[in-house]
Amino acid sequence: MTIDQRPPTAEEGPEEPTNRPTPMHLFRNWLKRRYAKRLIWLTLIISAGWIAATFLAVYFMNMSGGPASAIMSEIELTMYVLAWVCAPLMGVTLAIALYSMIGGWGRVKGDKQPDQDGPGIRNNSIATIGWAVWVSALAAFLVVWGLVELANIQAFANGSVAANQQPNSQQSITVNVTGQQWVWTFAYPDQNKVTTDVLVVPINTPIYFNVTSKDVVHSFWVVEMGVKIDANPGAITNTGFTATKLGTFNIRCAELCGLHHAYMETQVKVVTQDEYNSWVRENGGVRLS
Amino acid sequence: MTTATVTVTIHEAPDVIQPRQHGKPGGLLRYCNFVTALILGIVLAALAYWITGMFTTGEALNANFVPIGINVQITAMYVGWVVGFMIGIGAFVGPIRWFLGRDLTHADAEYLAGRGQGRMKFWKYTTDHKIVGIQYLIVSMALLGFGGLLAMLIRTELGVTWAELFNPNFYNSIIGTHGIVMIIAMIVVVSGPLGNFIVPIMVGARDMAFPRLNALSIWLLVAAIPPLASNLALGGLRDGWTVYQPLADQAPVGMIGYQITIITFGFSTAIASVNLMTTIVKMRAKGMTWSRVPIFVYGIFASSLMGLIWFPMYQYSQWFALSDRVINTSFYVPAQGGSVWLYENLFWLLGHPEVYVIVLPGVAALLELMVVFLRKPLFSYKFAVAGIFGIVGLSAVVWVHHMYMTGWAPSSNYPFMLSTEMISIPISFLVLVMLGTMWRARPWTRLPMMAVYAVVWNKVIGGITGVFLSDVPVDQYMHGSMFVVAHFHYMLMGAGLFSAMAAIAYWFPKMTGRYLDNRWGSIGFWVAFGGFQLTFLSMFAAGLQGMPRRVLQFDSLFNVSNWISTIGAYIIGIGMLIFLAAVINSWRSGEIAPANPYGAKTLEAQVPTPVPPENFAVLPVITSDPYGYGSPDPYELEDEARRAALEGGEPAKVGAS
Repeated sequence: MTIDQRPPTAEEGPEEPTNRPTPMHLFRNWLKRRYAKRLIWLTLIISAGWIAATFLAVYFMNMSGGPASAIMSEIELTMYVLAWVCAPLMGVTLAIALYSMIGGWGRVKGDKQPDQDGPGIRNNSIATIGWAVWVSALAAFLVVWGLVELANIQAFANGSVAANQQPNSQQSITVNVTGQQWVWTFAYPDQNKVTTDVLVVPINTPIYFNVTSKDVVHSFWVVEMGVKIDANPGAITNTGFTATKLGTFNIRCAELCGLHHAYMETQVKVVTQDEYNSWVRENGGVRLS
Repeated sequence: MTTATVTVTIHEAPDVIQPRQHGKPGGLLRYCNFVTALILGIVLAALAYWITGMFTTGEALNANFVPIGINVQITAMYVGWVVGFMIGIGAFVGPIRWFLGRDLTHADAEYLAGRGQGRMKFWKYTTDHKIVGIQYLIVSMALLGFGGLLAMLIRTELGVTWAELFNPNFYNSIIGTHGIVMIIAMIVVVSGPLGNFIVPIMVGARDMAFPRLNALSIWLLVAAIPPLASNLALGGLRDGWTVYQPLADQAPVGMIGYQITIITFGFSTAIASVNLMTTIVKMRAKGMTWSRVPIFVYGIFASSLMGLIWFPMYQYSQWFALSDRVINTSFYVPAQGGSVWLYENLFWLLGHPEVYVIVLPGVAALLELMVVFLRKPLFSYKFAVAGIFGIVGLSAVVWVHHMYMTGWAPSSNYPFMLSTEMISIPISFLVLVMLGTMWRARPWTRLPMMAVYAVVWNKVIGGITGVFLSDVPVDQYMHGSMFVVAHFHYMLMGAGLFSAMAAIAYWFPKMTGRYLDNRWGSIGFWVAFGGFQLTFLSMFAAGLQGMPRRVLQFDSLFNVSNWISTIGAYIIGIGMLIFLAAVINSWRSGEIAPANPYGAKTLEAQVPTPVPPENFAVLPVITSDPYGYGSPDPYELEDEARRAALEGGEPAKVGAS
């Protein structure tokens, strides 16, 4: 689709406003080609299939009871956004490959080498530049979205709560998490050093974790809260969440830590503030404030 | 590739002083082969173990309370093995002759290149690049078979959810061994066989730049494998292929096998990379400018470059780990000022570029071969080259995305998220080149071409799940889960191994003189492909549900997805066995192929099969790139007519076909 761009010569006189094809004309002409509409339909169908698959993916993520914190909700939102902005690119790629594979442009079977070459297209600057701009814009959007969301979930980990959630109490709770082969131990320094192997937290209260390890590297993963941080020997790492859903959720170790890594799991019980207070008293702790 | 006919005037050879022939051609190398290497390796290993045993006591403990004595002995044993094996294969004969001032005579060089030795040349320190290529093919296929067997064991354990088949030590060991064996196999599976066999012919060279180093690289690889495999007998490699510290320091002495293997394999990789890069830079045929080099050569070059730059990091991580074990240093001992994050950084400095080391040669091979089956020029050659080198550049600055959740430097997550998402740009360039080449072409539906479509699918799935993982918030959920396992299998196996299978099928006629059976090869390929989708799509589901990696037992929530995965894994196994049978059968008794079976225009398709010694009777002169396909474009003609009609003021009459 190259257009003769040469300036008019002297004999031809000044350029006239003719019916020279505009880009829109060219696009309409392209649409008349047999493959054009088929490719567009294939792209739309594949993109729609992919978008449907993302709902399935988030359904899988929620199978064990999540999302149980604002962090997890943000993660799921980000899943949707990433998948949806990538959908057209994925659709175009698979549509062209599929169309070529099923013989939309014809195909040659058998042992004999094809006698006819395809069109000798060596380059198309519209395609290459357009593609580069499209993919770069997409990557830029993904980066910006990711940076904003990362700042968001860090803020949530540091105790701020989502706008639609009213905290019961601004009082936060600090928990010291210690990983060792192959158990998790939770100490509540604010509550007169209550120590437990099942995490118990009140709903809608910011919880901070100081995570460390006694031996090797573990990874503290509160699955339905969408929180994960490594537990390293000789260092303390921090994370946190505010639970927004009552119930029992999973804590697993997400870093291979030796023979019984698979069994290094426990639970987090999200309870009401009253239940939490009585649990603290039963375990010999004092609610310090 | 168009080659000009050149008239060569052969002048009288000037009187040079020929080196004196000492004994029979080949000298000591006549007595060196694989068997002497095995014997000498085992003898030296036993000797080193015995001698160091006299000087070490079993009592002293290192900082992690591991006895030092046995560690020193095992290390000495493995070093003894590698040195003995290399002496036995004859790797030191050349340097010693050089010290003694005995230059190679012509007859010596002929012997070294394996002339007139029948099949024995495959078991010897042979320098001919074509023989080294075949050796690499056999070794990488053996490694893939071994790793695949371990994968079957892993999937069996995970599929049998109602019982524990293996004890945790054995299970963790096969996970680690599967990982590292497959990584090594995938690093060599394209660059080894095809890089050595095809690339020198493709660039118009008579051999590699350093033929003896070529032999050294393959035999170092062979020497590196037994220490790794023997870990299963020495307490196991139970810490995954990443062998994070300080867990690895607790491990039994089998861990030393891993460390020696990585150090040895690092030398092998460095030597092979230097050799390939020198060949590509310095030995191209006359007229083969950088814009006429086949794209596969670029892929091999980029892969070698990355391996050369980044593999030393991995080697250092293992040197340090070994010295923590045997000489009581404390690189990774937190109580003595060491850092577990130091290990993770060193490890991932190679660990991430290695993915591109594996995938790039395979994808470049697909670009090279799809041109032939589509009978169209490569779409936007410069875009492809830009994509390849964009990946090389960015590969240097993405490793921290493996450490988002380590807590090492939470602020670094921001810039590394940026760089990681940027790498999707050059990767997408390669995708566009593939799509543009497919555009309006009539594919010739042979196995290598059909594999391209399979790889596009796998790359799309692997790439788009990679976008999720590059995003820190999503990775906070996915990191360390089965989702990651499924993602990197889509890249390394789905894109890497399947393109390697396509590439080997494509160059099989050149390497063996026979066609790879298209029917059975295709059946094996597509069965494996189907099983692959089943296995890893359901593994994505398991990861999304929250199943961590490298576990032996798990919540019953994950049962269904693991059953499906295991069924899929067995289907992959069946498909791979069919493919292997097709390879072996075709190699023995396949249909004889002509020199240029698919009508390619690259140089390796112009030389006769079997490729003669020194490849070319007369070195070729290159006048164009190898993508000169193409007939006049019907649409272009039509546009031309329409434009003429418009400019003439009349409506276009030609209807679209």
